[in-house]
Parts: sequence; structure tokens; C-alpha cells
Amino acid sequence: MLTTLDGRLGDRLVVPAEAMGDTIELVVRPRDLTDVMRTLRDDGALRFELLADLCGVDTGLTMQVVYHLWSPLSADWVRVIADGLSRDDPRVPSVVQLWPGAEWAEREAYDMFGIEFEGNRDLRRIYMPPDYLSFPLRKDFALADDASRGTGAGIRHAEQPVAPAEVRLAPVIRSSAGAGAVLGADGELLALAASATDEAPAVDSGEEPA
Amino acid sequence: MTTPREQVRSLDDPEVMVQTPGTIYDTIPPLTPRTEREAEFYDVGDGEMLVNLGPQHPSTHGVLRVVLKIDGEKIVDLDPVMGYLHRGVEKICEHGDWHHAISNTDPLEYAASMFSESLPVLSAERLLELEVPRRAEYIRVLAWELNRISSHALFIGWLALDLGGITPILYGFGERDEIVEMLASLTGQKLLFNYMRIGGVNGDLNHDFLSRLGDWMSRAGARINDQATLMNENEIFVNRTKGLGVVSREMALQYGMSGPPLRATGVPYDVRRAHPYSVYPELEFDIPVRSDGDSYARYLLHVDEIKQSLRIIDQVLHQMPDGPVMAKLPRLLRVPPGRAFAALESPRGQYAVYAVSDGSDQPFRFRIHDPSFFNLQAVVPLTRGHLLADIMAIMASLDPIMGGIDK
Amino acid sequence: MEVKKPDAGAAAKTVSRNPKAGTIVLPNTTWTPADPEAYQTQQVAIDHLKELEFADKGDNGRWGALDVVPTTADNLLDYLRANSLWPLLSGLACCAMEMMSAATVVNDMDRFNMFPFRASPRQADVLIVAGTLTTKMAGPLIRLWEQMPEPKWCVAMGDCTCSGGRYKRSYSTVEGIDRIMPVDVYVPGCPPRPEGLIYGMLKLQQLVLERRGQWKDRKVGPTVPDGV
Repeated sequence: MLTTLDGRLGDRLVVPAEAMGDTIELVVRPRDLTDVMRTLRDDGALRFELLADLCGVDTGLTMQVVYHLWSPLSADWVRVIADGLSRDDPRVPSVVQLWPGAEWAEREAYDMFGIEFEGNRDLRRIYMPPDYLSFPLRKDFALADDASRGTGAGIRHAEQPVAPAEVRLAPVIRSSAGAGAVLGADGELLALAASATDEAPAVDSGEEPA
Repeated sequence: MTTPREQVRSLDDPEVMVQTPGTIYDTIPPLTPRTEREAEFYDVGDGEMLVNLGPQHPSTHGVLRVVLKIDGEKIVDLDPVMGYLHRGVEKICEHGDWHHAISNTDPLEYAASMFSESLPVLSAERLLELEVPRRAEYIRVLAWELNRISSHALFIGWLALDLGGITPILYGFGERDEIVEMLASLTGQKLLFNYMRIGGVNGDLNHDFLSRLGDWMSRAGARINDQATLMNENEIFVNRTKGLGVVSREMALQYGMSGPPLRATGVPYDVRRAHPYSVYPELEFDIPVRSDGDSYARYLLHVDEIKQSLRIIDQVLHQMPDGPVMAKLPRLLRVPPGRAFAALESPRGQYAVYAVSDGSDQPFRFRIHDPSFFNLQAVVPLTRGHLLADIMAIMASLDPIMGGIDK
Repeated sequence: MEVKKPDAGAAAKTVSRNPKAGTIVLPNTTWTPADPEAYQTQQVAIDHLKELEFADKGDNGRWGALDVVPTTADNLLDYLRANSLWPLLSGLACCAMEMMSAATVVNDMDRFNMFPFRASPRQADVLIVAGTLTTKMAGPLIRLWEQMPEPKWCVAMGDCTCSGGRYKRSYSTVEGIDRIMPVDVYVPGCPPRPEGLIYGMLKLQQLVLERRGQWKDRKVGPTVPDGV
């Protein structure tokens, strides 16, 4: 199976396919993702029809989206890692056209990391309340510090009523500079929050994805 | 951070309602649709009505809210809203030890905790390439199968309860209580066992557990048959579940379903046979598969699986080897860097974990894949066009547990 | 958390020594709260032994026996309320499993006339919050609480509802439901055994009879002082 995968997908893989235990790991670039997934699913010798898992990973330097697939032809799992998403504006094509069951998993990855899946018609928050401002599983979201910016510090309406206007019109935080940061038109960082927490802002507006 | 009485404001206070519409409670329809699908769903046609089902409702699956668009009694479309039980388990796992992850993942599948506990255990053992003593492996299988039977007994009870039958849930809870008291004498806890350890299990079998197990096993087969005959040919039950919520093979694979909903469509995919783990290769059992794909087939599949689990427990008790129950590990466990995907077959399907370790004693990323999350997605296409009373039958037959869905 | 030391007089009353037998005899009183206004009564002493003696009500030990003639109609109402507390089905998470187990065959809450778990809050007396409360669910839970007609009581079942429990540092849970609603009985445990929940419900019956749990006269929140 390893050789078949290398043969079919060789030019689109960033590194050669690696076998670790009972899993074969493939690393692709986000722009090649749709082709690779379609090949994996539809090719007669591969037939990875079951999407076993879809998740996001924040490595601190980049974001990744990791897919696990199963095929009736092989005893191994295949792990596809779409690596190199920028932490400030992570975008990746959606696989909802291939597997409709990926819709909620992509919603969850968006909710937890802020990864935008292009092509998902229903990319809204799934776990957190709709007016939540942060993306909890990011590495710059600290437990019990940053959470006070969201509804995690108690129920706003019962403890301090807040008009909904300032909650709903606040932009969704894309930047790792944290909640409350002021972003310009191109997404560049203009100012941090007034009460800056102790996280270091990553003002990497010009960095290419790896 | 106590709230003085004067500051607690009632929702009936008109000032509060004007100031905070929607931050307390999602209004139906939302003030501004956020996505294409939301706009399409909340575009209510002539004669249609939006009705909220949940998050508190008599169905016992947990806090799931489903917004239904109904035309009279017929469901035109539905929009499940989750997150009412999202506790941030993955984040908490990242901030604790690998050992802490065992008790942190307990409450995910609270009807069958042994499976969710095993996730950090199996993934850490893969990364460490650790060999687990054989006696521990057999005890693990015993714990897993006992938990599977108690979870299936509850499933049967909940399925009947959602359809209106009160008796099977009492049978189910009686069965579950007996099994769980047995596990309490083994692990010390009735529900969130905290029994699995990286390298083995927490403690050896004791006399109390074995005598209770023997008593229960002698009666279990007959009791399961009783419970099954109560419902198998019950006309009302069959009429309400047969032909309902039919999942086709292609749909099951596209939605990433696993477990009984997948096997009821004819795909013989069971993680215990497809990606064997622990000592399952040495045990003889069948994978029940049905081809109808409807709720009745899923119910029958659960009953079949109980019988297979009894078979496994019997073999385990006969083949139980001697030896230690836990491998020797350092107190401060540093897991070598790497990525591991470990899957096991839980009562609801394929319970898997994608663990990324950076070489320290804390998991770097601990992604829990819950089968109910993917199985529940299918409820949207399955329920369209059916009657209002059918949504509970379909949802109950997919066996969701909100602890796992919401993490 | 500052602990008020009992004054010497109280200390002298709690412990007495029987010089003859050489043993320490503890009377019934085992705990007094730090803040005497917390429960709106002059003196609250949880009498662990007294509450178990149902025979104290009459000479035949029957609880709520009708041959005990109440002196005022209010007492009769209290008996009626205490003996038919109908809970609302509001199981959120794992504790709901133990709540359901407490209601079914092995541990039977129907003995105390608490079986009919009402689905509608309009018909329920007790809100047993069983399971972790998240910030998203807090709104609907408050809505449920406010829909319940008075008299109503609230039981916080499980560690997550008492104080946040194992999710104290999570970003999406409410650390204890007493942040948002008044609680009468706290049943700790993760999860508490069904017997524990039943014990909590018996305590609630005692509160109902002693009129300590009335909604209007109650402060919201635990007795933890500010700044703690």
C-alpha cells in the first residue's frame, strides 16, 4: 500500500509517505488537498472511502488539518496532514463535497482553531456560544486567563448586562494577538487590547505559509 | 464570585429582554444568519413553523437542541445545535499529565467509561511501544465487554423510553446497576471508573468481583432473552421502528459512521477485527451484521452484540492467565515525541484518539474522535420527511451520548 | 478561606467528658455555619441523629403520619409538599445516569413519592441539576428555573454543579450553579451514589418541613466570603 500511494500521489506529497506502526502518513500542501483526497477516495486500488477523523492541530508555528481514512483494501490507516496553514489566517479547502460527514468536524475545527474551510456552507460555531470571541484550542489561548474575554467568566446577562451590539459586531478574532486586538483592513495588527494579557503577539502579516 | 440577590435579573423583566436578546438564548430565527445553510434553513415557507426540541427534553440522551422546521406534523428540515455540554476536555488534557488524561476522558462516554478511559492509555502505549502484561490485557477485555453489555442494555431501555415504553428502561437499569455494582467492587466507582492505566489496569480481580460476576453470568443469558422477547415482536415497537431511518451503505461511509449504524447497513467493519488491539485476535467471536439499515435492524444488532459479548467474557474467564496487572513505568512519564492514532470499538462505534506528543509529560494535542458525533450527523438527512414522532426513534436508534459529542 | 473559630463557650458545649467511663460524648450538634444569616434562621444545627429518627414525629414512627394532627394549615401544606416533591428531568451529564439509577428499580425514589420526573418545568417542584453546567446551557437552565412555579427548590447534584468540580479550570463551564441560581441542597460526589442523592432529597424534605428552603427568603450563593 505504501508503494501504491507513493506511485499515485508522489508529486503532490511534500515528503515521501511514511509508515509508522499501522498508519501511513502523508503530508500535503493545502492547495493540493482536494486532488489528493479525491484520488484516495475514488482510485480503484486505494478506495479510502471512510473518513475516520478530521481535526485541526496547532503546532505553535503553523496550523495543520489532519485527516484519517480507512480502506477495505488495506489494514493500515492513512493519515493525511495538510500542513503549513498560517496561524493568522488558516484556510484550507473543504472535503464536504467528498464526505458530507465532514461538515460538523470542520465546524468543530473552525470553532476550536479558527480554521476556515472553503466550501463548507455551514461554517459556524458548533460548541461555543455564537457570540464567543476566541478560539479555545489555539496555543495562545490560556486557560483561566484569556477565558475572561468570553462568556467563561460567568453569565454576562445575570452578572453584568451587556448590550448585544458590541458583542455581535466585534470581528471574529483571527490573529494570534489575542482577543480585543485592533486589526486593520488587511488584517495587520494596529494595536493590542487595552488590557493586554501576557501573551506575546505574533505580528507576522507578511509571512508565507511554509 | 457570588451574585447578590439584587443583581439577579429575571428574564421576565422587560428591560433585560430588550437589552439582551439572543445572548442568553439563541432566538429562532437568529437575528442575522451567519452561513448559507442557516439562511436557507431559517427561511420559513408558507405554513411551516420553527419549533425547538431541547436542550431539556424528556429524551435521556442529554442536552441536544434540535431546531425543527415542521409543516404540520411532517418535518421539513432540522438543525441540531450542540455545545450545551462542551466542557473543554481536549484543552484540559493538554494542560495535564498523560495520566491525568485518563480521568479527564472518563466523563466523555459516561455510559461506558472504560472505553473513553482507554484512549489515552492506548495512544500512550503506542507512542511508548510498551508491552502490557497479558493478564492486564485480559482484564481490560473483560472490563470492556462488561461495559458494552451495560451500555447496550441502556440503549435498549432508552430506545423504548423514547417511543413511550416505560418497562424496558427499568429492565435496562436493573441490568446496568447489577453490572456496574460489579465493576464498583473491582474499581471502586460505579460510573467514572478511572481503572485503566498506561501499562495495565489499576488493580487485580478480587473475590467479591468474581463471585458477583459468576452469579450474574449464570442469569445473564436468560435475562437478555427475556428483555429481547419483550420488545422483539412487540407490534407497536416493530411498527414504529421498521423501515424507519434507513441508512444506505454509501451514506454510512460518506458520513463516517461506525459501529452498529454502519454494521446494520451491511458493512462488516468492527475495529476489533479490522485493526485488532489487545487480545482480541485470540478470542473467538462473530461480528453481527445486518443489511436492512433501519432502526429495527440497529436494535436487533445491539441484542446480537450483547450475546457476542457474553461469549467473549466466557472465553476470557476461561483463558485468564496469571501475572502482573501493570507494567513498570516511571512516575514522571515522558512520552517520546510522535503521532499516534489509536482506535477501539466502543458500544457506539469507533472510538479513536489522535495523540500528538512533543516529548514532554503533557500531551501536545489530544484529539478525541467520538462515534456519536459522526453518527448523529446522519439524523439530518434521515429525518427529513418523517413525522414529528419519528425523530426520537431515529435519534435513539443511533445511540448518541452527548458527553462524547460535546466533549 | 478564613475559618471562624468557635468561641470558648461553644467549644465547652460541644464536647463533654464523662469522667466515669473515660469516653467523650458528643451531643447531636455537629456543625454550625459561619454565617448565621445564610439560612435565614436564628440557629441552624444539622442534627444528624435527629433527622434519622422519624419516630420523633409521633409514637409510631410513620413519616408524615396522618394521626399527627397539624396545629396550623401551614404545617399540613409542608407535609404535603415534602412528601410529593416532583423533580424536573434535567439531567445534563454523567450525574444524570446516577439520577436515573436512583429513580429506577434498585434505588427507588418512588418510595418517597419522587418518581414522576416531569418533563415540563411548569409541573415540577425540584430542579435537580445533575451534570456539568456549561455557559451555553446556563441560559436555558435559568429559563427552566424561572418557569418553575413557586414553591420550588434546587438540588445541586455532583461536583460540577457544586463548585465546578473537575472542570474548574475549563473555559466553558460555570463553576458551580450557585453562581446563577439559588441552591438548597448540595450533593457532592463525582458522581454521587444514588443513595447519596436520596440522602440529599431527604435533607430537602427536612428543609421543606422546616421552611428553610423558601425561594423568596433565600440569598443566592454559598457562604464563601468575598475575595475568596
